[in-house]
Amino acid sequence: MDDTLALPAAAAARRSPRPPAGRAWLLPLVVGAIYVFLLAPIVIVVLAAFNSGEYLRFPPEGFSLRWFVKAAQHQPFVRAFVYSLRLAVLATLASTVLGTMAALFVVRYARRARDLLRLLLVAPLQFPAILTGIALLIFFYATGLGTRGMRALLVGHTLVALPYVFLTVSTVLVGFDRSLEEAARSLGAGPLVTFWRITLPLIKGGLISGALFAFITSFDQFPISLLLISVGNTTLPIQLFDYLRFSFDPAAAAVSTVSIVLSVIIVVLIERLVGLESIYWGGPR
Amino acid sequence: MARVATTVLRPLPQPARRRGAWNGLLIAPTLLFLLAFFVVPYANMVYMSVLYKPPDGPYLRVFTLDNYAQALGDPFYWRILANTFWYALLTTAVTLVLGYPVAYYIARAPTRRRGWLLTLLIAPLLVGVVIRSFGWMIILGRVGLINTVVRWLGGPELPLMYNVFGIIVGLVHVYLPFMALSIAGALQNIPPDLERAARSLGASPWVTFWRVTWPLSLPGVFAGTLLVYVLAVSSYVIPILLGGNNVLVMPIIIVQKLLDAFNWPLGSALSMVLFGLTALGVWGYVKLMNRMLRWTTP
Repeated sequence: MDDTLALPAAAAARRSPRPPAGRAWLLPLVVGAIYVFLLAPIVIVVLAAFNSGEYLRFPPEGFSLRWFVKAAQHQPFVRAFVYSLRLAVLATLASTVLGTMAALFVVRYARRARDLLRLLLVAPLQFPAILTGIALLIFFYATGLGTRGMRALLVGHTLVALPYVFLTVSTVLVGFDRSLEEAARSLGAGPLVTFWRITLPLIKGGLISGALFAFITSFDQFPISLLLISVGNTTLPIQLFDYLRFSFDPAAAAVSTVSIVLSVIIVVLIERLVGLESIYWGGPR
Repeated sequence: MARVATTVLRPLPQPARRRGAWNGLLIAPTLLFLLAFFVVPYANMVYMSVLYKPPDGPYLRVFTLDNYAQALGDPFYWRILANTFWYALLTTAVTLVLGYPVAYYIARAPTRRRGWLLTLLIAPLLVGVVIRSFGWMIILGRVGLINTVVRWLGGPELPLMYNVFGIIVGLVHVYLPFMALSIAGALQNIPPDLERAARSLGASPWVTFWRVTWPLSLPGVFAGTLLVYVLAVSSYVIPILLGGNNVLVMPIIIVQKLLDAFNWPLGSALSMVLFGLTALGVWGYVKLMNRMLRWTTP
């Protein structure tokens, strides 16, 4: 990981194409340092997880997997991990279906309401998650539904994951050649067959990226979970948070590392499919 | 043969138009979901903020402005609000200073390297905020990485965490990618020819930057600062983990009122005050930047 960190700065310093002045090395150096800052806390957590010492101290005392073993034997972590996975899978399914349908409508059929719908669909991303959590908590109690079980959590997670699916699917739909669908229809395929055989395969990249974003958003979600969890059902970030407030041993780093590996896998998958930056620059404005 | 001909010759736009009435079914479930679980809960929170809080129960359906009087009349809350906005401003300023060079470097990098730089910039966003705070705790703590090095060099122990400094480091780390991406988007739209033209006409790199690049990147700067400020005002995890009860911000107080004190009306009123003051600030800032943009771009 350290090699990749140093790479952009070092490579740029070595072969800067057209040096405008004598200080062409300054910008790559500064940018390299900022990237070290960005990746440092994540790299350090992974390093700490493989530390064999009793405490999180520097320098690490040696290489060991004992903290992974300890984390796997710590029941609350295991239970929270499984619960988070189940929740994330359900929230991903719900937000992917809702987000894809909404994107299809907004890109293709919405006319006057298009801008308004877009604002509404992206709004859960732009409103502070902690306020959304509070609003949902009050709402669930005021309506008598309560927050027992997974229901409230699932609603909250689906809400904040929805905009990502909507954005990625909208992106691929904007560049979609509709004559392919029309060809299928004119050759006698029904609307469902056309969707399944033509539309879906063509928007697959955006759809899967959106689903992956939705998954990781739910899996890492903190503020909404904090407000909507029920007794006995804790998600992994909340469990980790509670653990870190009282103890500070490398088992927490081991759990975090597992979660980081999950994030890295998702980053690589999205990168392969549509490119990570599509969520920011490709989204409909 | 004849069948093929008729199917091909079937008028194309018609089926799409006939299905028009059913298209609404695509948006209906999502719209209902957002109305029920986003619009209504927020509206309910506004409503809750004007309800009476009896001593023995969550709320009564009686209109009162008491909660706002409490929220706005207590100097304690004003101090917390001032802190919250101050930390958000500080975070915005630091992310701007750090984000600009990153954005500039990315926007001017060759395509392949740009892809790498963007990936490394966005990837940290997909790691949970608790884990990232944890990483900073390991780096900034009393026996952490930096203090170990400083002690080894013979220096004093530095208070890097459980104070404002720790919070700002954590907030800057979380929001820097948003700032850099906003600015890079604006910088990419500037044709490099403009800078080259300025240079060839004898302007120094410094003058070229301030007279050409910076004014043209202002839309990105404004978008980025706005985004980071609004996000930073409502951050909760980082102030709690890296501030360690020594630093209070409004979201911490609001969650305390709701979860510990069970005072929903006051918690809602405080949320509204935070929301309203933030919106007011944003409104003023947007007015200001519209004037500046008109001033810089002919």
